[in-house]
Amino acid sequence: MTPHPTSPQDLRAFRQFGGALLVAPAVLLIVAVIGTALGAVVATSLGLLPLVGQPRLSTDGFTTLVGDLQAATHESLLTAATATLLAAAIGLTIATSVVRAGRGVRFVVGLSAAVLTVPHLVGAAATGLLLSDVGLAQRWSGISAASWPELVGGRWPWATVLELAWKESAFVALVVTASVGRQYADLREVAAVLGARPRAQWRRVLLPLAAPALASSSLIVFVYSLGTYEVAGLLGRAYPEPLPVMAYRLFTDIDVAARPQAAATAVVATGLALLVAVIGLPLVRRLGADR
Amino acid sequence: MRRLTAPGTGRTRPRRSVIPALLALWLVIPLTPLVLWTGASRWSGTARLPQDVGFRGWQEALDAGMLTALIRSGLLGVAVALIATPLGVMAGRALGWRLLRRPALPSIVVLGPVVLAPFAVAMGLDVVILRLGIPGEVAVVLVLSVFALPYTTFTMRATYLGLDPALEEQARVLGASSRQARRRVTLPAATTGLVTATGLAFLVGWSDYAVTLLIGGGQMVTAPMLIGSAAAGSGNDALTSTLAISASLPPLVALAVFTYAVARRRTAANS
Repeated sequence: MTPHPTSPQDLRAFRQFGGALLVAPAVLLIVAVIGTALGAVVATSLGLLPLVGQPRLSTDGFTTLVGDLQAATHESLLTAATATLLAAAIGLTIATSVVRAGRGVRFVVGLSAAVLTVPHLVGAAATGLLLSDVGLAQRWSGISAASWPELVGGRWPWATVLELAWKESAFVALVVTASVGRQYADLREVAAVLGARPRAQWRRVLLPLAAPALASSSLIVFVYSLGTYEVAGLLGRAYPEPLPVMAYRLFTDIDVAARPQAAATAVVATGLALLVAVIGLPLVRRLGADR
Repeated sequence: MRRLTAPGTGRTRPRRSVIPALLALWLVIPLTPLVLWTGASRWSGTARLPQDVGFRGWQEALDAGMLTALIRSGLLGVAVALIATPLGVMAGRALGWRLLRRPALPSIVVLGPVVLAPFAVAMGLDVVILRLGIPGEVAVVLVLSVFALPYTTFTMRATYLGLDPALEEQARVLGASSRQARRRVTLPAATTGLVTATGLAFLVGWSDYAVTLLIGGGQMVTAPMLIGSAAAGSGNDALTSTLAISASLPPLVALAVFTYAVARRRTAANS
């Protein structure tokens, strides 16, 4: 007797083949676009894809601007790290307040979702109108324009950090709220019956439950903040500028010789983001975020 | 188990309502200057409120081509959603229902765009499309679809994780074709996830600035392009605010309608 054609092994193999076909279009599109783009960026940074003239292998794109690249990397890391810390802290506070108080503060979830739909560029324009030396905060606080702190375009990227923290805190809040919701309600009752005070409930029940979502969303916020152009482009000062702003300035320079330098800046930014992901992902996994 | 501490003494806590109020303010305050400026015709010096109320900003925004730019942004959002949503549904089905022997590698590839900076990808592709003569619009849609795919795929993965594959198998046993089973059984149960994924993909196209600016080279005038140039160079705060508010309202209205529909469905299901 011949074996039945749909034995469990055959079925599994068939399903796995079907699964591979299902992910293939997404994977191929990503690999084709990202592969082409990153290949071209690396080639341009090494002088192999000049806009005009003969290709010539050289590391000038990286070496001419070493000082600027270092300053921009420092500025990018500083901005991203501060914005991420603020977004994580405020996002966790929002999530805590929502899962604890329940129905009464559901509107904060609605507000967070609303903030999430607002483009970063709109957030940046609004932050400028709020915090500049003729902004709404200055007008309403009564502090004179002359003594108003340089929050926009000043020595420290206050406005950029606050805009990123504002929008990303809503993101962290929604991710954390969605991931702890039901479980926390059940465990919290147990903790309360066992006599845990609100503070202990937060530290021993909510925080461990929220940790995976908090860590993975913070990692996303950090790499996003490293790579975003429009916020710092609108609210930052001329020097030092973060990597995306520096790359765009060089990319649009009239001098085509600046193209390899622009590409080199993009390569540094991409390498930095990949490095952060390689360091951060195992930490996030250890917390169980991949469950 | 160790007994932690004595139960709370039940004293009233004013901070219970203060903290949510502060959080709501944190979320709302940054947008207030935009709202005030859209209704201001004149607001000079350091006056606390506008001297003249009016719709100068709206008139100037219309003159600047706001409507065409909004339509163009809408089309860009739709194009990105049309590519990224179906691909995300397929990949999400494979990942959520564990149809792959080794899901790790495809998961990492699909998550890749989250890590990469859009400006770097756009910069690299700009060089290539110049040489190959590919229209900028096509490249912008492709790049943004790639950046939307992690959102659509992982939204649909979570949706499929919550759905039982057995339902589709039962429909097959009852005589439905595999296509009918997918369309009539699984997709209706996945509506909320599907709408969320579509909305996220649309937003990637609708709100993009960096990719359109770098690849489009200023030729493709979407709503964010107008906002960017008004905010950076015009010094016209009423115009900037009006453009910004009109680019933020359509997604907000869509979100409100969606939330209302989901709430109604839930109430209907519970009753």
